[in-house]
Amino acid sequence: MSRSVQLSSSPLLASKTPVWRSKFIVAAIALGFMGLVGRAAYVQVIANDFFLRQGEVRFARTLSLPANRGRVLDRNGMLLASSVPAPSLWANPEDIERDPAKLRELARLLEMSPAELDKKLKDDEKTFVWLRRQMDEPVVKQILALNIKGVYDIKEYKRLYPEGEAAAHIVGFTNVEDQGQEGVELVFQNQLAGKPGSRRVIKDRFHRVVEAVGETVPPVDGQDLQLSIDSKVQFFAYQKLREAVLEHKAKAGSVVVLDAQSGEILALANYPSYSPDKRVNLSGEQLRNRALTDTFEPGSTMKPFAVALALEKGLVKPETPIQTAPGRITITGSTITDAHPHGVLSVNEVIQKSSNVGTVKMAMQMQPREMWEMFAQVGFGQKPQLPFPGVVSGRLRPYKTWRPIEQATMSYGYGISGSLFQVARAYTVFARDGEVVPATLMKAEHQVAGVRVISAENAKAMRKMLQMAAGPGGTAQKAQTMGYSVGGKTGTAHKQEGKGYAGKKYRGFFVGMAPIEAPRIVVAVMIDEPSNGRYYGGDVAAPVFSQTVQQTLRLMGVQPDMAVKPQFVVKSVEESF
Amino acid sequence: MSRLSIFLLLTVTASALMLVHSQYETRRLFMALESAKKEAKRLEIDEDRLQVERRAQATPLRVEQIARQQLQMRTASPAITQYVSISDGNVSVKGSQP
Repeated sequence: MSRSVQLSSSPLLASKTPVWRSKFIVAAIALGFMGLVGRAAYVQVIANDFFLRQGEVRFARTLSLPANRGRVLDRNGMLLASSVPAPSLWANPEDIERDPAKLRELARLLEMSPAELDKKLKDDEKTFVWLRRQMDEPVVKQILALNIKGVYDIKEYKRLYPEGEAAAHIVGFTNVEDQGQEGVELVFQNQLAGKPGSRRVIKDRFHRVVEAVGETVPPVDGQDLQLSIDSKVQFFAYQKLREAVLEHKAKAGSVVVLDAQSGEILALANYPSYSPDKRVNLSGEQLRNRALTDTFEPGSTMKPFAVALALEKGLVKPETPIQTAPGRITITGSTITDAHPHGVLSVNEVIQKSSNVGTVKMAMQMQPREMWEMFAQVGFGQKPQLPFPGVVSGRLRPYKTWRPIEQATMSYGYGISGSLFQVARAYTVFARDGEVVPATLMKAEHQVAGVRVISAENAKAMRKMLQMAAGPGGTAQKAQTMGYSVGGKTGTAHKQEGKGYAGKKYRGFFVGMAPIEAPRIVVAVMIDEPSNGRYYGGDVAAPVFSQTVQQTLRLMGVQPDMAVKPQFVVKSVEESF
Repeated sequence: MSRLSIFLLLTVTASALMLVHSQYETRRLFMALESAKKEAKRLEIDEDRLQVERRAQATPLRVEQIARQQLQMRTASPAITQYVSISDGNVSVKGSQP
């Protein structure tokens, strides 16, 4: 039989250790628990915010939601500028995988030499270098497929300009950061640029978005802009201008096409131009939007305004004879001459033959103030209401400072200056039966009200004179088109250089409208320094006018107002059975 | 333990499991929605890109070149055009007649 032993008297428990040990253990454990409680209080109460934030940093991400830049459209909704994705590649030289074969392949796809690529990646202190920006998407996919460690892509957008150099000066371009630099892209930067949005999300360890937290700020896309430009007219005008500048070995040229009724700019082109997609080695010459930013003395194209004022003031009638013999007139010691002496001319013929003497004789009967008002009302010396960079107002001096000789020269376009655009707009006064309308680059939604400058009757009389100038016996017979009656005025001006006039340097212009009975368009052409023998506006600029008018009116669906000899070729086809 | 306690324990466990499941389901559906949205965005961008490409294929310059060189066409002039004007239902043919 076994002997039971009482627990309390078990020899095993007869400890010889001192009591303080057990007390010490209890105290240590209690202290440990207190530490835990303290820590818990710290984490949960005191530094709660900090830990919440740290946790969020580890799984929550803020994604930026890019906004699209608005498109630029022409009046028919054709694209002039649009953004497409063009990813950029960057690398981290610190931890890039330096596998020679892969790097060679990378260099090939980046279209750079291996040495160039090496140079970019040489500095392994850096953690960020651009490899190439705004590349084609398929190439980027190929590169990412190489799976090189340390090479990454960033989503970016590139602006494309399908119209190319024809509309470059109007549309302008953006830089690599999508900021407008020139033209419409610059002027309407705020409207075109969108506002990027953002959202906060929780991502899992595969970087998949699993939950959205907080509020999402949606991106606001940029607005589309619809211009008054007609891309087909723009193209034809640019093409014809380019041909003319090359043919006459000229320095430059500009053409402006206005809708005579609404004041909308249908086309505005300059040569030389540039391709907004590929902007390398751009020169100032190419970038200049000459039609708006260059002023010049308009020469004979000013004469119709002086004559219109003479009609308006009742000084002359279209048939009033004016003695222009002997082709010279002297005003306060200075002599003004005609290219050819003409004898007695009617007012109509003064415009038709472009007689300086005849125009001056009419102008000298007017008050300087009246002339100044006329010129200012049609827009000379006034800044055009176009929100464009570098638009100039030209020069129209206050009438109080005019000397008689200046009043005389201004009547035929010297001593006054304006841009080609201003001249074109001024001619709407004749095209719109005596009213000028504000020109606009935006597609007009409503009928615009004009400001009356001369009476409708006088505007009609002026149109008849302009038609004569472009007809037989006039200075601009090359302005004729097939089917449409045209009218306009040539101008050939000595170029001003420094203080005087350059001997052999000219500008040839033509400004006109069609169809003459009820004009739909006003077209102005300027050819700068034609140097292939001929330099008269009627020779160099009028043909551009003629071709542009012909094409534009056809595109607008305007019915010809003149009889045309039909040229149908009817082939007789024998039917076979 | 009383029966009620066991019943409540089971209910709570079931509810907790349901919560886990629905949270999982939420995230899964959210992910599907996300990728669908991403796809929509991608297609939208693609459409833009294709529009630009189509436009680039149809610039006046290219149309003119192809029309002239490949198709042997020439620009219409009023001499070879018949103009038909419609006014108050009356159709009148004006201009050149063959």
